[in-house]
This record gives sequence, structure tokens and C-alpha cells, in this order.
Amino acid sequence: MTASPDIERIRTFVAVRRAARPARRAAFSLALPLVAFLLIAFVAPILYLLVTAVDNPETKTVLPQTLTALESWDGASTPEEAVFAALAADLKIAQENSTAALVGKRLNYEISGMRSKVLAASRMVAGMDAGPYREAFLDQSDLWAAPETWAVIQRNGASLTPYYLLTAVDLKQSPTGGLERVQPDQAIFLTILGRTLLVAGMVTAFTLILGYPVAYVLTIAPKTIAAVMMLMVLLPLWTSLLVRTTAWVVLLQSDGVINSILMTLHLTAEKVQLIFTRVGTVTAMTHIQLPFTILPIYSVMRSIQPTQLRAARSLGAGPTSAFWRIYAPQTLPGVVAGCLMTFILSLGYYITPALVGGPQDQMVSNFISTYINRDLNWGLAAALGVVLLIVTLAIYGLFLRLVGADKIKLG
Amino acid sequence: MWLPSYATPSERMMRILVVVFAILVMLFLIAPLFIIVPLSFSKDPFFTLPVREYSLRWYADLFGNPRWMEAMVNSGIAAVLTTIFATTLGTLAALGIARPDFPARRFVMALLISPMIVPIVIVAVGSYLFFGQFGLTNTRAGLVFAHTALATPFVVITVTATLSTYDTNLTRAANSLGASGLSAFFRVTLPNILPGVISGAIFAFATSFDEVVVALFLTAAEQRTLPVQMFSGIRDQINPTIMAAATMLLALSILLFAALTILTRKKAR
Amino acid sequence: MTALQDRTSATGKPDDALVRFTEVKKSYDGIQYVVKDLNLDVAKGEFLTMLGPSGSGKTTTLMMLGGFERPTLGHILLDGKPVEKLPPEKRNIGFVFQNYALFPHMTVAENVAFPLRYRGIRGDAAREKVKRALGRVSLEAMGDRKPAQLSGGQQQRVALARALVFEPSLVLMDEPLGALDKQLRERMQIEIKHLQTSLGITMVYVTHDQSEALTMSDRIAVFHDGRIQQLADPKTLYNAPENRFVAGFIGENNTMACSLMGRETGLAVVKMADGSTLKASDTVLSADADLTLSVRPENIMLAGDQTPPGMNLFSGIATDVFFLGDHMRLSVEAFGGQTVTARIPIAVARTFAPGETVHLACMAADCRLLEG
Repeated sequence: MTASPDIERIRTFVAVRRAARPARRAAFSLALPLVAFLLIAFVAPILYLLVTAVDNPETKTVLPQTLTALESWDGASTPEEAVFAALAADLKIAQENSTAALVGKRLNYEISGMRSKVLAASRMVAGMDAGPYREAFLDQSDLWAAPETWAVIQRNGASLTPYYLLTAVDLKQSPTGGLERVQPDQAIFLTILGRTLLVAGMVTAFTLILGYPVAYVLTIAPKTIAAVMMLMVLLPLWTSLLVRTTAWVVLLQSDGVINSILMTLHLTAEKVQLIFTRVGTVTAMTHIQLPFTILPIYSVMRSIQPTQLRAARSLGAGPTSAFWRIYAPQTLPGVVAGCLMTFILSLGYYITPALVGGPQDQMVSNFISTYINRDLNWGLAAALGVVLLIVTLAIYGLFLRLVGADKIKLG
Repeated sequence: MWLPSYATPSERMMRILVVVFAILVMLFLIAPLFIIVPLSFSKDPFFTLPVREYSLRWYADLFGNPRWMEAMVNSGIAAVLTTIFATTLGTLAALGIARPDFPARRFVMALLISPMIVPIVIVAVGSYLFFGQFGLTNTRAGLVFAHTALATPFVVITVTATLSTYDTNLTRAANSLGASGLSAFFRVTLPNILPGVISGAIFAFATSFDEVVVALFLTAAEQRTLPVQMFSGIRDQINPTIMAAATMLLALSILLFAALTILTRKKAR
Repeated sequence: MTALQDRTSATGKPDDALVRFTEVKKSYDGIQYVVKDLNLDVAKGEFLTMLGPSGSGKTTTLMMLGGFERPTLGHILLDGKPVEKLPPEKRNIGFVFQNYALFPHMTVAENVAFPLRYRGIRGDAAREKVKRALGRVSLEAMGDRKPAQLSGGQQQRVALARALVFEPSLVLMDEPLGALDKQLRERMQIEIKHLQTSLGITMVYVTHDQSEALTMSDRIAVFHDGRIQQLADPKTLYNAPENRFVAGFIGENNTMACSLMGRETGLAVVKMADGSTLKASDTVLSADADLTLSVRPENIMLAGDQTPPGMNLFSGIATDVFFLGDHMRLSVEAFGGQTVTARIPIAVARTFAPGETVHLACMAADCRLLEG
């Protein structure tokens, strides 16, 4: 016998898939407008952010002649006059276009002090009609004599740089090209990431401890009481995050409600510092995230038959044993769903740490915002964004794996 | 009711403890929301309870200040536009996803939900940098664009949930009785999934109206929204006018929430 | 069983066929076929039931006829015209769904008026038709109610009225009585049958309930595993099942392995597993095939002095005896370990103790030979 029945089978399979194509296309075309919209309005900005994290235009655009001249440099000694002449030519143009500050700022990230040297040098060459430039530069600063300076300039001739991404995880490129840790006093970003994970973990743990009993009571309470309780869980979810944060600012203030209650009850003699502390931040975030943890646990608990516990008791298990061995394991899917959701959302908090937290409670998001708005260091902001995005998407992936996007419900 | 009749004394004790604990947690959930209400009616410019004297001076401040009023109008316009776009796009997508022939459903669903998941600062910064390339920063269009992306997951989720209880035989029946695709949709499908669509629209409205971070990055003074106005106020010097604004926002949330609750109640019946 | 009719005329000359399936196959995944090589004609004015267990392909066949599924291969002719690619709204077929699919946001009258709008019937003409359609199912007074305010039986009637109001020549029904309780179901069966005959509609009806099929149908197509196992009128189907599946699915049947020994005066002689021989009606069969002997429990009687000669006689050991009001159900072990069940009318029954030897008899004409 030949394989013809198999070929026949494959042919029908293909025919059926082909016949199903119009229906698949029709179904997908309904989702197409939204998918296309999200690709433009949501995915593209994020991809653009990723590109910004490695984008390195400054040196290449401002110092093109210098980079060409450096091609014949030996890499070990102070370059020859030709290189300095090229640099002088570049800086003259830069001075006219006022782009010197741009490249100065960029080089300053890797060699501290470079910003002022570049600016001073461009002012200097603007007043010179002809060379030799080498002496003039070397007179101005020792930095121009160091081969490391030129290695950094040469390296940044590339249009992409790993610099920001490495910085975001406290690493840098050594002059020889290998990776090394940054100085301990500059190594702040892993600490910030660790702090973000820690705060998110604490918030998740607290919402679970507070939320699990609430979810349970929701399932055993008589119908009307349960309905009222449900409203009390859902209402905070509906209230603007900013309003809830505002409430906590007011509560935690030194002259705020909590302090005035504590003082009236004579629990403390002096005002307690609550706002701008870790305690305040975690409390406020726990309050905001609590409904997100409660709802999935409740929806799983509701589906557990009460007869299960009765059966366990009839088979000889005591109340504690029945709870831990029969009830608790069955609630696990809800616990996983609720905790992962809260953890994911907590990672991205910005408003609450900004308003309730102190300098030591600022999370990755807050630093991203600071680098964009105050330091105008877009590359580093973008790189921190990449790190935060990777961590978040990794946990989202876990969530999709364990729970599934179709299980997300709103109340 | 609360306890099975076979419960042991220690079990009863435990149960009472759990219920008391849950009540305390409920208090923790609700009390902070309503703390701002009396403070907004206080005559004093500081935040202590009990309120010594009540007045409407902070509301007069709020409604008398053109900056606050402008911010409210801006928020309203952005939220309404966002609601229209997000509800249309989200409902269409949900209708597609609910069909049995939909290809790569899990992947597409994961993509459609992701605006809920990605940290808001990343969306804000990405939009700020990307939209800047096309001159969309500091415009209302840019803000509505970004808010629509953030709001669509809520519409997709609520409409998908409603469609999962929708009997597709109703559409088939309409077809068999002579109604073509579009006519069957508007006369049979849409009226039956309307509660879900409206729920999604309410969610979309609330998402845009309450959103701070993206608005912070994408708006200039002319498009400044109410939450941005509040946020800057709290950062500079928190004052009771902000309490009045927060109370207004809270009232709006309760209103929207009540609308949604009534809607889902009706559906359940 | 009043509606049980013998309508051999309906088996159909070609020009008589309203619906014709030719070589229709349907697969959803390209690997397994839900419907395999379906050939079926439905004659004008006929009540044809597609009967089978769930997953047998009967509902898929109905959905293809209604236009909700497309055949993977083959053709469906409606009134002589191919309709595989015609959308449902262009077919002018009445369809009654399993859970009625009444539009919950419309009143009963609006539901019934729905199809009229698409046929250009509006205003008084439409109202008149709705009134008449509701009258036919005795629901004139319910026009202003919402479907949710009606009982299950009333909802069923509204669905019927809605499918009939535009006077389609063909009406399809997908397990329309499945959600009703037994008494109501039996009443509705008769009502539907009356409507069908009085209006002269062609009806294709899907059910898994055999008594429903036997009550209402002119012809029954028994579906199993994507194929029509037998297509016949109810009487033939019951008395002369063509294969083991049909024998087991329609009514109760004892089926026993046997082999053909020879033929004798128009009867087949078969050897049972224990070597004993029985006679059976001779349906043309190849001699080398493995055969099954089938005999219905009500055709087995107690052997005694009055047993006429020429009957098959056999004996077995009683295993279970149940009293069921009007009859007794007696199971014996016979032919070397096979269980044979007999239905003994209470008038001729006596008590048996388990383990007791019982002598039984059946007519050769009631024993049918089936392949496989």
C-alpha cells in the first residue's frame, strides 16, 4: 500500500482549514480596528521607549570629523594634532549651532567633568583662527591627554549604546570593553529595583492577610449582609486612585487625622511621623490594592461546595484540619490570581509613593519620571522603563500561564 | 447561616474572631474614603477632626476659580471622547473574540488586556516621547489617544463577559427569520448585550476621568485635567479646596458605581 | 401511537424532493468527520425525523440545512437549487431552536412579527398575521407579555408561531421539546404533528428521543457516527432494524452472537454460542459474516403446553426478576453465558426464584439476523 490515504487526509485537512478561512478572517476583522489602534497608540510608544534606551545620536552628529580622525588613532596614547584639529572644527560648528552642551552632557554621563570641559573648549576654539590645537587643548585640561577620554568618544560614535541599559542595572563598560560594576556610591538602581520589588511584595502579602478572611466572610454571610459588604469592597475600587491617595495624605499628615486621634487618646505624647515614610506608603498602597486581591479569591471561594467541608468532617477531620487540608488548597487558584494581579499593579505605582512616600520610598516609576522631567536624561529614563517593563511582563507571563487573560473580571 | 449546627465551641470562637477581623478590614477599606467629606466642609484650613465649624467656602473657592473649572471641563471632554472611542473599538473586538473561529485568541486577548498591566509611567513616558514626534503632546488629541488605549481593556472584559452568557442561537434565530448580519446585530444582539456595553462605557469614562500620570506628561496648561490640577495642588501645598475637588470626584464615582450596580442587577434578573 | 402512519408514498420520487443532500461531508478540524457521505431526500409535505445519540451528526446536518454551517464537501439542494452558500436569511426556512431563542427584549407579538418585517409585511396586515399565528397555538392573549413571563410550554408555542408566521414551506426543529416535562412533551408532540399535517408543511425534526420520533414521523433517519444507519418509516424501523445499532437504539433488544448453518423452508438456521440451533427470518446475508441474532423482550414468552409447534425453544437460569406493574421483567442466562431478557405479561406470569431453570419460546419470524 502507498501512503495515499495519508495524503488524502492531509488534503482534506488543508481543504477544511481553507474553508474555515473566511470565518476566521471575519472574526478577526472585528478585532482588527482595536488591534491596529493599540499597535499605534500603545505598542509603538513602548517600542519607541525601548529604542530611546539604546539610542546614541549626540557624539555621532556633533563630532563627525573627530570620529573620522580617530579611526587612525592607536588607542593607547594621546592623539596627534590631526585629531585635535578635527575636534576643533567640530566644536566650532557646535558652538555656532549651540549643540556643544548636548555632546558635553552625553560624555559627562561616562566621564564626570566632561560637560564643562567641552563647553569651555568650544568657547576656546571659537576664538582661535588656526592651530596648533593640540597644545591649546592639553593646556585647558588633562582630560584631553587621557587615552580613556578618547576611547569613550570613539565608542560613542556608534549609533546605539548599551550605556543606559547597563547603568540601569548598575553596570558599566570598562575602557577595555568588558563589563564591571559601577562605584558603590553610584550603584543606586539595583537598590531602587529591589525596593520596588520589596514594597510590591509587602503590599501583596498584606492584602492577602487582610483580604483572605474578608473573602471568606463574604461567602458565609447572609445574602443581604454579603451584598452590602460587596458594595464596600467595590466602592474603593471605583474611587479615583488620586482621591484615595489624597485621603491618605490627609490622614497621615503630622497635623492630620490619625495623629489627632492618637493624641486625643493619649496613645502618644508627640506627633508621630507617618507621611513620607515606608509605613505610610505601604499602608496606602495596601488600602488601594485590597479589592484586587479580594475579588479573585472570593470568586473561587464561592465555587467551593459547602458539602466538601461536611464530607471532610464526616470522614473524621477536625475543623482546623478540614480547613487546611480541604478548603485552603482549593482556594489556591484565587490566591494566585489575586496576588499576582496585586503584585503586577504594585510594581508600577507612581502617584502614591510620590505623594505619601519619602525619598527612601520612591519606586522605579518615580525615578523614570524624575529623569524625564528634571534631569532630561531620556536614555536613562527609557532604560529604567525597559527594566521595569521586563520585570512586569515576566510576571504577566506567569499570570497568563497560571490564570489566563480571560479570567480577569471587573467586580 | 453564619455557622453550621455541628460547630464546636472553639470553631465558634474562631468564627467570631474572623468575622470581627473582617469587619475591621471593611472599616479600613471604607473609612479613609469618607474622611475627606467632612474636611471639605470645614471652615478651618487644616485637616483635623472633629470639624469645629462647617462652611461651603472651599466649594465656593473651587467653583469660583477658573483654573479648576477649566480643568473640570477638560476632564469631561477627554473622558467623553475616550468613552466613545474605547466603547466602539472594545465592543467590536469583543464581538470578534467571542466567535468560535477567532484565530490566536489567547495571544490577542493577552495583547488587548496589556494596557491594564503595563506600568502607567511607561505608557506615559512612551507616549510623551513618541507622540512628541508628531506634535501630539500638549494636545487634547494626544491625551484622548492614550486614554482610549488605557480604557479599552475594561470594555473588552465587560463585553466579553456579557457575550459569554449571550445565547448565540438568538442571532441564528434572527437570521433564520430573515434578518441579515447587520440588522440582526442592531435588532437582536446589541439590545441583549447592552448592559455589558454600558458597563464598559462607564469603566472607560471613569478610567479617563480619574487618570493622572499620562495626563501629567501629555498636557500643557490649556488641556490640564482635574486630577492633574489636584496632583499639582497636593504636591505644592495641600489645601481644603483640593478636599472639595476630591469630594466631588468621590461623589461622581459613587454615582457611576450606583449606575453600574443597578445595571448589573437588572441583568441578573 | 395514533399518529403512526404508513406513508410509503413519501419515500419520494425525485421531483417530489424538497430537500436533497448529495454526498455531504462536514468536518470542523479537517481530521474527523462529523457527517460522512450523507445522501438524503426529504419529500414535500413529509415529516422526517433525524434520530440519534448526541454527537451522531444529526444536529450538524440540520444546521447545514438551516444555513448555519457549511458543508465541507457535497451539495444541498432546496427545491432543486443548490443552497450551500446561501445565508440563512435568504433561505426562507422556519427554524425552531433547542431553547426556543425567543428575543428576551421583545414582547411575544414583537417576536412573532419579527420575520414579517423582512418580508415587507407591516401594519394591519402584520398584526392580522401575528394574531392568527398566535391563535393557532392558543396564545392570543399573551401578545403583550415578555418571553420571560411565560411558562416553558408557552415559550415553545411562541417559537413555533414565530417559525410558522411567514408560511415557510420547510420548518426545521432542533430538539424543540427537550426542556419540557414528560406530560407537556407528549401533548406538544401531538400539537406539532397536527399543525404540520393541517398546514401541509415539510418538517425536518431532530431528536434523541425515540418515542418522540416514532410518534410524529413519516420517516425516521437513524444517525450514528456521522452516517444514516437506516432510513425507514417508524413501523419498519421498529420491526425490521437493519443493523445492530438500530436494533439496540430503537426499543429494547436482546442481541446474541451466532453463526449461519443453513437455510430451511424460507428460514435461516443459526448456531448459538453453546451449540444449540435456532431458526430466524431469512434476511439476505453472506454466510461467512459474524452474525447477531436479535429478538425483542416482548416477543419472548414462557414455553408451556400451549406453545404452538415450530417455535424456537430454549431454556436458561433465572438471574433477575422484577415486577413492573403491567408486566414482569425476567432475565435468564442462556446459550452459554448470554443474558436474555423477556417481558412477560402479568396475566401469564408466575414467580421465579433466582437460579431456577426457565423454559422460553419465541417465533422464528421475530428473530432477526443482523450483520456484525
